[in-house]
Amino acid sequence: MSDGGLELLLLGPAGATGLYWYLYRYYRNTDKSHAFERETRVDAKPVTGADNDDKVDEVKGTRETRIDGDNVREYRHRVTRIRDG
Amino acid sequence: MSNNTTPPPLPPSGPGSPRDVPPLPGSSTIDPATLPKPIRDELEAPDPVAIDTAADALKDGLNHCPKCGATDIKQRPGTDVLICLYCRNEWHGARVEEEFGLGENIDQLEGTIIASGAQAIAADVSALMTFKCSGCGAEVTVNTENAMTARCHWCRHVLGVNEQIANGAVPDAVLPFHIKKDDAVARIRQFVGKRQFFALKAFKEQFTPDNVVGVYLPYMIVDGNVSADVAGFAEIKTREYTRGNDDNKKTYYDADVYQVARHVDFTVDDLPLESSAERGNLNTGVNTNNIINTILPFDTKNAVKWNASYLSGFTSEKRDLNVEQLRPHLEDQLLSIARAQVEESVDQYDRGVRWEQERLKVHGTRWVAMYLPVWLYSYHQPGANGGMLHYIAVNGRTGETMGSVPVQQWKLLAAAITVGTFLEGIALWMMGHSS
Repeated sequence: MSDGGLELLLLGPAGATGLYWYLYRYYRNTDKSHAFERETRVDAKPVTGADNDDKVDEVKGTRETRIDGDNVREYRHRVTRIRDG
Repeated sequence: MSNNTTPPPLPPSGPGSPRDVPPLPGSSTIDPATLPKPIRDELEAPDPVAIDTAADALKDGLNHCPKCGATDIKQRPGTDVLICLYCRNEWHGARVEEEFGLGENIDQLEGTIIASGAQAIAADVSALMTFKCSGCGAEVTVNTENAMTARCHWCRHVLGVNEQIANGAVPDAVLPFHIKKDDAVARIRQFVGKRQFFALKAFKEQFTPDNVVGVYLPYMIVDGNVSADVAGFAEIKTREYTRGNDDNKKTYYDADVYQVARHVDFTVDDLPLESSAERGNLNTGVNTNNIINTILPFDTKNAVKWNASYLSGFTSEKRDLNVEQLRPHLEDQLLSIARAQVEESVDQYDRGVRWEQERLKVHGTRWVAMYLPVWLYSYHQPGANGGMLHYIAVNGRTGETMGSVPVQQWKLLAAAITVGTFLEGIALWMMGHSS
């Protein structure tokens, strides 16, 4: 069977799972928390560092629409912490 | 001397947990118009409105009534005013913002400044406090775990805990309730009203929003002066093309990879952190404390200097975490804020950024212990491991309402399967007609 057919067949289970989680979260609100990133008064100086962005590689012929491990909007996803001293 | 309370763990990660950045108000992953009418009606019903509380200038305050000296003092509901129930004299508490100079010179903060009410908790200080009533000499006990005032049963004088002893019960400031009980009840009713269809039957039968209680919960309000660095890789799309024949077309992309690093200096003003270990544990698998977390923030600028009279008629929870135990939570939130701040500067990378390293330098912090007002409705759902306590919480200042409504699992599953079957039917029909 072609990819298109398989994707169509998955419509039912995907729709059911999607609706279940959507309504579950609407009632239970397990995904809610204090949106401190945008609800806290933050006074920031201009962000620096953009001048040093360096092209280091090229990607050819990928089917992914985003960079591998994209976390630009996942502010709360912690990455390796560099500690001084 | 230190207390032995373990700080709450960071909440579990993964989709549907409080580690998700909360969605923007009004945004939704599913368009409600595509859903069946009963579900759509619930989703589209209006939410309780959160009001904007403007700052009122406040003046000096005392524990006894400054006019007649009586102790029968209460907060006048809906205001920051204290009223003497004996002579009807009314007066304001002093705002801590001006009194302590909070919110000023945050960009010059250095080291750790801890207000007197936020000092480390001594393990040997009891939560039970006994006073000698100065009216009649009788001994009156106040359990500071859940109350800060008591009435002498002999002479009817009201005694309040105002001295800052090292058990964490007396904070620096208190933010009085503005939302009245009737208003809170109405908001809870409205919130639950639009979550009826799949709600647990027992929850609906036992729903009595009049049982809502006003609680003062302990928080640390933190100002910080920090710098952060992040580094990683980002991609810009250079070409997009399709390959393959008509039936099997696939899209491919070419991209340039950049090494990126950003630095940002910023200050945060009045970031609230739960200073009770139990409340700070946001594990949605076992509790619904994330509901109370969601109704933050409060207009903490309007907080008044501690006066136990504000707590008369309300219950309270005692702080059991110190500054050092809360520091990891603060740093985690500061790093998240830093990542949000640099997002705009990497806009040109249309294929996104993979941050791999981050560094935080905290130059200075200022900590103030505060009691914040919350209306809480709770429902205990029986089940394994003691079941689950569901909260519906109303912010006692802004009226922001959030809640956890237990679901009737079989009903929700049945609805999901029905919709899934319907979609599958369409899919099969389309396949049958295309071949």
